[in-house]
Amino acid sequence: MQTLMKLEGITKIYGEGNLSVEALRGVNLEVGVGDYLAVMGPSGSGKSTLMHILGLLDSPTSGSYLLDGEEVSTFSRRRLAHLRNKKIGFIFQNFNLLPKASLLRNVELPLLYGGMGRKDRRLLAYEALAKVGLADRAKHRPNELSGGQRQRGAIARAIVGSPSVIMADEPTGNLDQQTGIEILELFDELRAGGQTLIMVTHDPNIAARARETIRLVDGLILPNGQRAAA
Amino acid sequence: MNPSQFFREGLVEIREHLGRTLLQTLGVILGVASVVATLGMTSSMDARRDQYFRESGGTLLMGVYNQPPGELEMTARQRAKTGLKLSDAAAIRDTIDGFDLVVAEIARNHRVRAGATEERFRITAIEPEFMQMRELTMGSGRYITPHDMETAAAVVVLGSTRARELFGTADPVGKLLNIDGKAYTVVGVTKEMVFYWQRSDNYNAHEWLNRLIVVPITSYMKRHQEAGAERIDELNLRLRSPEAHEEARKTLELLLRSRHGIEDFGVWDRKERIDQGNQEGMIYNLTFLACGIISLLVGGIVVANIMLASFTERMREVGVRKALGATGWQIFAQFLIETMVVTVCGGGVGLALGIVGTWGIMNVMQMEMVVTPLMVAVALLAASLVGFVFGMYPAVKAGRLDPVVALRYE
Repeated sequence: MQTLMKLEGITKIYGEGNLSVEALRGVNLEVGVGDYLAVMGPSGSGKSTLMHILGLLDSPTSGSYLLDGEEVSTFSRRRLAHLRNKKIGFIFQNFNLLPKASLLRNVELPLLYGGMGRKDRRLLAYEALAKVGLADRAKHRPNELSGGQRQRGAIARAIVGSPSVIMADEPTGNLDQQTGIEILELFDELRAGGQTLIMVTHDPNIAARARETIRLVDGLILPNGQRAAA
Repeated sequence: MNPSQFFREGLVEIREHLGRTLLQTLGVILGVASVVATLGMTSSMDARRDQYFRESGGTLLMGVYNQPPGELEMTARQRAKTGLKLSDAAAIRDTIDGFDLVVAEIARNHRVRAGATEERFRITAIEPEFMQMRELTMGSGRYITPHDMETAAAVVVLGSTRARELFGTADPVGKLLNIDGKAYTVVGVTKEMVFYWQRSDNYNAHEWLNRLIVVPITSYMKRHQEAGAERIDELNLRLRSPEAHEEARKTLELLLRSRHGIEDFGVWDRKERIDQGNQEGMIYNLTFLACGIISLLVGGIVVANIMLASFTERMREVGVRKALGATGWQIFAQFLIETMVVTVCGGGVGLALGIVGTWGIMNVMQMEMVVTPLMVAVALLAASLVGFVFGMYPAVKAGRLDPVVALRYE
């Protein structure tokens, strides 16, 4: 299995001196291409911080993070933004679609920031929307769509740039059970197409749909034995 | 991401918050409107004034008139030297190159009779170049000629109003006119000159030219003055070029002072008056411009304030955009261009308002309005500058926002 992400001794400390908080205390993790990984843990365990670092939204205080063989832990914010644009697709609990823009324009955004021309953008955005079954809703605004449709739109936005990995933060948290299942089925399809997925959740039933689960407690990943048991 | 995209985002922002945007740009609108109106009014008035001068001999006219120094005790000898004389005109012609036309003038009131009509009128005795100087054209007949001057011919040219008063609707050319008992032949009538400062005004600024009764200065001196008298009332001068102004004026005063031994004359000078007028206009303009600029500054502060107030509301948006790969620079550019789109739209509205305002004022004053490219350029430039300067801080703030913090913001 080819390694996509490799974390060694990742720490993240917020604040300074007596007030500092150690969110991550030496995380080691390897994610292969095509993996479907669930990250579980109670609130305050550091799973959001880990997500942010994996998703290049934040840099670790110390440790090494290899993404596609590149050491990214010391990248500037600008380079991180470019890399984020090319390699990471985000899906949020509350969808985070821009309310003033049509679904199509929302889906086009990552391509726009990547510098792609208008025609190509449009084409790829329609393709992505077709994949999640929303091609006929392209011109609608987010507030004209149901929760499930919004999240599927957000998935289209995440996959439109063919990222190396999709990071989903509680993707079903704001959806009813049935709609949540539909979203997870969509993840299964993506996974079957070879897409790497990392999903943060606190729901064991949802985590169970991933191929692997890691548990984070107090800024540390529980040892392998327990990881298998989860 | 190209600028046109940012531009679209800006338009969306305006459409979404029309009321807020309007309030936000009110200062800019009023500022630009005031600046545009100031420029509009002064350009319109300047254009009108230039036209007046253009139609009555240009900006290069100058004149010298008698202005005896008061209270000064003079000897008879001194007194004999003072006052403008015909020889002064010759001296100016001979020594000052800066004037291309020099016309001596005597203007006195006399009893004028034509047929049954008799009245006291002012008689203007001049040299033939007066026609060229004042850009007069003939309605009928001819003007005074150099030949009339040489022969001191008893000929007279009437302004159109005087011709009507003295001879009614009949063509007076060839008819006789009696000035203080001396008979003159009417040889021409000048065409009516018209200039109204304001539309439907009843004051014709050129009417005095229509009321002239003009005779050759030599004829006048021969018939209406004692022999040997050579005093004249005024010297009309025209500069060869605007560049000649300073030098010619200085030499003129020097020459007359040395010839008269005393400063017994006054000078009127169109160019000087225009320059003074421009200077006064400038002060007036600057006052208005200052008001406009202060309004623009206040407008800019309001723009920045509202951008910052809406900032928290848009933090999540910034976070999402950054998560999708927007760089700080791209966010900065988006916010800055958005602000500039808002202020430039305000500038456009201000421009329209300023033009309408100027038009209204000019209409009340019954004057023509002039819209210059400068007004448009100043309006749009000022508006974009305000957007740039006051959009900078919110844009920098948005660009620097940490995506993690921005995304977490509820």
